[in-house]
Amino acid sequence: MTPQTDSPIPSYTLNCRMSREAAALERLCQVVRIRGFRIATMAVESAGDHLDIALTLEGTRPITMLQSQLEKLHTVSEVVPDQGSGVQVQTA
Amino acid sequence: MNGAQHILEAFHRHNISTVFGYPGGCIMPLYDALVDDVGVEHVLCRHEQGCALAADGYARASGKLGVCIATSGPGATNLVTGVANAHRDSIPMLVITGQVPSGLIGTDAFQETDVLGMTLGIVKHSYLIDDADTLPAIMEEAMELAQSGRPGPVWIDIPKDLLLAEVADAPFPASEPRESSCPDLNQALAMLRAARKPLLYSGGGISLATAEDSFRIFAESSALPAVVTLKGIGNPGKHNPHNLGMLGMHGSRAANKAVDECDLLLVIGARLDDRATGKLEGFAPNAKMIHIDADAAEINKLRPADVAIRGDLNDILATLAGALADRPLAIGDWQKQCRNWHTTGGFQAADNEEPLAPITGPAFIRQLSRIAPDDTVIACDVGQHQMWVAQHYEFDHPRHHLTSGGLGTMGFGLPAAIGAQFADRNSTVINVTGDGSFMMNAQELATIRRYNLPVKLIVMDNQCLGMVRQQQELFYNNRESQINLDDNPDFVALARAFDIPALHIERTDQIRRGIETILAFKGPMLLHVAISREENVWPIVKPGASNRDMIDETRRASTANKEHVA
Repeated sequence: MTPQTDSPIPSYTLNCRMSREAAALERLCQVVRIRGFRIATMAVESAGDHLDIALTLEGTRPITMLQSQLEKLHTVSEVVPDQGSGVQVQTA
Repeated sequence: MNGAQHILEAFHRHNISTVFGYPGGCIMPLYDALVDDVGVEHVLCRHEQGCALAADGYARASGKLGVCIATSGPGATNLVTGVANAHRDSIPMLVITGQVPSGLIGTDAFQETDVLGMTLGIVKHSYLIDDADTLPAIMEEAMELAQSGRPGPVWIDIPKDLLLAEVADAPFPASEPRESSCPDLNQALAMLRAARKPLLYSGGGISLATAEDSFRIFAESSALPAVVTLKGIGNPGKHNPHNLGMLGMHGSRAANKAVDECDLLLVIGARLDDRATGKLEGFAPNAKMIHIDADAAEINKLRPADVAIRGDLNDILATLAGALADRPLAIGDWQKQCRNWHTTGGFQAADNEEPLAPITGPAFIRQLSRIAPDDTVIACDVGQHQMWVAQHYEFDHPRHHLTSGGLGTMGFGLPAAIGAQFADRNSTVINVTGDGSFMMNAQELATIRRYNLPVKLIVMDNQCLGMVRQQQELFYNNRESQINLDDNPDFVALARAFDIPALHIERTDQIRRGIETILAFKGPMLLHVAISREENVWPIVKPGASNRDMIDETRRASTANKEHVA
C-alpha cells in the first residue's frame, strides 16, 4: 500500500466484506476509530446476506495494523487493501 | 421449549454448572426457568459488576467459560466494567442480558439501553436476538467463539418477548475437529542457536492457550533465562533457576537489565504492553525478536518481529522443546550473568527483625508466600498491594495468580476470589486487597456469607490510594490530591456485620500468627493489616520512560533524583 503523497496524512483504501447483522457498520467504524483512522469516504452495498464496504481512510498508523484488527471481527470475512505489506506471518 | 429454557438447555449441553447473575424485569423469564432447573447453580451476587468479575475469576481459575446474567438497562450497564476487564485480559465469558420487548426497542422504554451499541468496544462479539428461532444456534456460536482462538467475552442481548417465545427445535451441527499443524520453526530455531544472549519473554497467552505444561517443559529444556509479564507470573514455575521474574514498570532490576542486554527476545503469548516495555524506543534495543502468538493482530502491532509465528502454542512449544532437547543451546555464560543479576537485582525485601516494627507490604507478602499452600489462588485487586504480590509472592502456576492486568480494575479481587472459590470449593483462595479497592465491591461480602465460601480476605490498609499517592509524590512534586482515605470504616467491624470473623494486625510479630489463623479457619475470615501510608512500590519506571531508567528507593532519597523525576 502506497500512501498518497499529496496529503499530509496518508490515505488508504480498504475493501471489506462482512455479514449483515445488527450493528455491523457500527462495529466496523468503531474499530477504525479506536485504531487511529478517520473515515474519509464510505460506500456500502448490500448483497444477499453480506455487505461490501469500500472505505477510504486517513491515518498515520500502519494500515496493516488496522487490517489485522478488522480481520479479527467475527462477522468480517475479508479485508482487502490495495496491496499487502508487512512481515510474513507463518501460520499453522 | 421457550427461549429461556433453551438457554439453560445450552448450559447443560456444555457442562456449564455455575453462573453468576442478578435478576430484574426483562430477564425474568430466564429466572423463572431457573426455578425448575437443578443442573445450573445460579450465584446471586449483590451487584452486577460483582457478577461479571466473579464470572471472570471463575474463568481465570478454572480455564472454563465464565457466565454472567443481568437484566436490561442498569443491569447491563453495571456489567460493563467487568466485561471490559475480561475483554482486556482475554477471558472467556458469556454475557446474557434481558432487553426490553422487541416492539419497545428504540422507544426509550423503561430500563432500555442500547446494549449492543454501548458494548461494541469491550466484547469479542455480540448479538441482539431478533428472532427466537436463531437463539439456539447463536448460543452455540457464542460459547464456541468466547473460548476459541484468543478468548474473550461474547454478549447476547435478548428481548424479553423472545425469552418467552417458543423456539423451534433444530439439530446442532457437530463441531468440527480442530485441524492443527505446526508452522515452520526452522528460522526461529536458527535464530535461537545463533544468539549469544537469548531471553524468554512470556505472558498471559500461555494459560489462555492452556499451554502451561508445554511452556514449563520448554522453559526447562531450553534453560533460557526468562522474564514474565504481570499475567505471565507463574509460567516458569517457582523452582525454575532461570526465572528472573516480572519485567516492566514495577519489574525487577534483573529482569529489565536482561531485556536491555539480550540479543534475542523470544516473545510467547505476550502483547508487548506498555506497562511491560516502558518506552518502546528503548526496549530491548540490541535484540532481534521472535514473536509467537495465537492472535495475528498482536504480531507487529507495536514492534516489528524478525520472525513472527502464529499458531497453537502447545504444538509450537512441543516442537521447540524437542529440537532444543536434542541439541541444547550453548549459553552458559549468559545464564550465569543473568543469575548474577537476579542475585543482586531481584526483588528483595528483608524480613524485619524488629518484632514491634510496623508491617511493610513486601515483608507481609513474603511471609504469606511462605506460609500459604503451593496451590493457593491469590486474587488481587489493583494498586500497591497488587505489585507487592507480583514481586514477592512465588507462584507455581499462572492460574494461581488472578490479577486485573489490562484494565486495572479496582474492585476486581473480591468478586474474582468468589468466582475462583466456586471453580474449586476445596481450594485455598485469598483475596489480597487494599483499602481503596476493597470498598469498591465490599457488598460482595454478603455473597461470601450467603454461600459460606471459605475465602480469606487480606486488606492491606494504608488509609490512602497508595499507588496514586506514590506517583503524586514522585512525579507531581508531592502534591497530594484526593488520595486520603483516613475516614475508612472499621474493616473488622464491617466484616463482622456480614457475620465474617476478622482480625487486626499492625506489628511485624503479628504477621505469622495472623496469616496462620485465617488459613486455619474453616470459613471465610478477614485479616486487616495496617501498613504505613508512606510506603512505596520499588523499583518504579516513570510512565512513558524507558525501563533502563528505573527509580529505586536509594535514588529516591537524593535531591538529584527528585529533580529528575519531577
